[in-house]
Amino acid sequence: MSNQASNSTATPMIEFIGINKFYGSLPALVDINAEVKKGEVVVVCGPSGSGKSTLIRTVNRLEEIQSGVLRFDGQNVHAKISSLAMNHLRSRIGFVFQSFNLFPHLSVLDNVMLSPVKVNGIKRSKAREIALQLLDRVGLSSKAQNYPAQLSGGQQQRVAIARALAMEPPAMLFDEPTSALDPEMVGEVLAVMRGLARDGMTMMCVTHEMNFARDVADRVWFMDAGRLLESASPSAFFGSPQHPRAQRFLSDLRAR
Amino acid sequence: MTLLFNMIGIVSDNWLLLLVGQFPNGPLGGIAATLILSILGIALAFPLSVAMALARLSPWPVLRWPATALVYVVRGVPLLLIILWVYFLLPLLIGESVPGFVTMLATLVIYEGAFLSEIVRAGITALPRGQMDAARALGHSHLGAMRYVILPQALFNMIPSIISQFVSTIKETTLGYIINVPELTFAAGQINNRLLTKPFEVYFILAIIYFVVCWTLTKLASTLERRIAVRRARSMDGAAAPALAAASRT
Repeated sequence: MSNQASNSTATPMIEFIGINKFYGSLPALVDINAEVKKGEVVVVCGPSGSGKSTLIRTVNRLEEIQSGVLRFDGQNVHAKISSLAMNHLRSRIGFVFQSFNLFPHLSVLDNVMLSPVKVNGIKRSKAREIALQLLDRVGLSSKAQNYPAQLSGGQQQRVAIARALAMEPPAMLFDEPTSALDPEMVGEVLAVMRGLARDGMTMMCVTHEMNFARDVADRVWFMDAGRLLESASPSAFFGSPQHPRAQRFLSDLRAR
Repeated sequence: MTLLFNMIGIVSDNWLLLLVGQFPNGPLGGIAATLILSILGIALAFPLSVAMALARLSPWPVLRWPATALVYVVRGVPLLLIILWVYFLLPLLIGESVPGFVTMLATLVIYEGAFLSEIVRAGITALPRGQMDAARALGHSHLGAMRYVILPQALFNMIPSIISQFVSTIKETTLGYIINVPELTFAAGQINNRLLTKPFEVYFILAIIYFVVCWTLTKLASTLERRIAVRRARSMDGAAAPALAAASRT
């Protein structure tokens, strides 16, 4: 399962170097130093309010930071760059939201096609072809002409994944992709994510799905109160967590 | 009863004047002018209002400040005063006399533009934040996100409010009376001046005409509003149901 081992170069895809972020005087992220290597799957876990979502949203600069350097594929994300360069950078970072955020006025197919056509300037016929392939990959080619409102939550999230993949990003970020789903729909979304991981996609996932973390992740990051307290392989993290806060978190999870 | 007879008599004697004014022997007037003035006013104010709403919501202060100032000024001044300002200023600015119709149209574009821009702005800010986030995350520029994702949804949701604003505009055209714009109220005034003894009947007819037009449009707006609400509720279902499920789980 470990992509890290097969990827001998192991160059970093996402680097967090001394990241700090405050909401007013409230620290949201405190001195984060970590990296996600190419081909690696990192699962970020921790109690709610620990800064997981904030951290993942700094990667494509949906959240600003106050200090530190964040590199995506070698590019400094939070540097003073033109908005054009920023848009281009964002288009290369696949992002999947907790609340799906499909565009309700567009059909499923148009949701997936919109950005390749309008951002990357790909021909409609070509974009359509790619979109249909991706919808097939997430098992929804039969829903291409439907509108998001006609789909279940799990189906919507799979469309959202296809929409992000349509930009052919070298890495995918998932911000609690299954937290807004009915329990019976969680599996279908995780299955798509497992498939992506198997194909060698670099992934950073904020999730509470610990089985997914155990099976798919190369590393698990544990966060609390804006700090990255632990970064370990899944077996080490679930077998013998080092930090007391992580121990308590895991025992609370088991108690549920 | 005599009142009703009198009114029917007045309408049958003057229906052409009420409908089109002195056209084709004079300028187009009556209800035709009122409707054309209102339609043109809203049609020209609409693009202006979208531009102003975008300016007010833009990340650039250079655009935000002037648009905000204009909206505040226009909203804080009576329409009648704006009419007078345009009436006296426009000829000075362009150096020649301006027909009343044009003066009134220019006034309506400024006034309705400001009000409509607030409606458009409300429509944009009412959309979930995630829509803009998702568009930006996919690499769309701010304006691209507005154009392809935000505005199509916001403007659709705003259709009933835009119709209500159109109804207000129809009623506001009556103020053109004071600068002799040949519209419906002006036509009624002409009839009243000629008859001299029947002001109650004349202005009652006038009120009925305005009421029928505005009430029909208001009805249309509320029908559309209901349909849009149903459609929006349906489009929410997909997102709201699992969110509720998640809330009950935690």
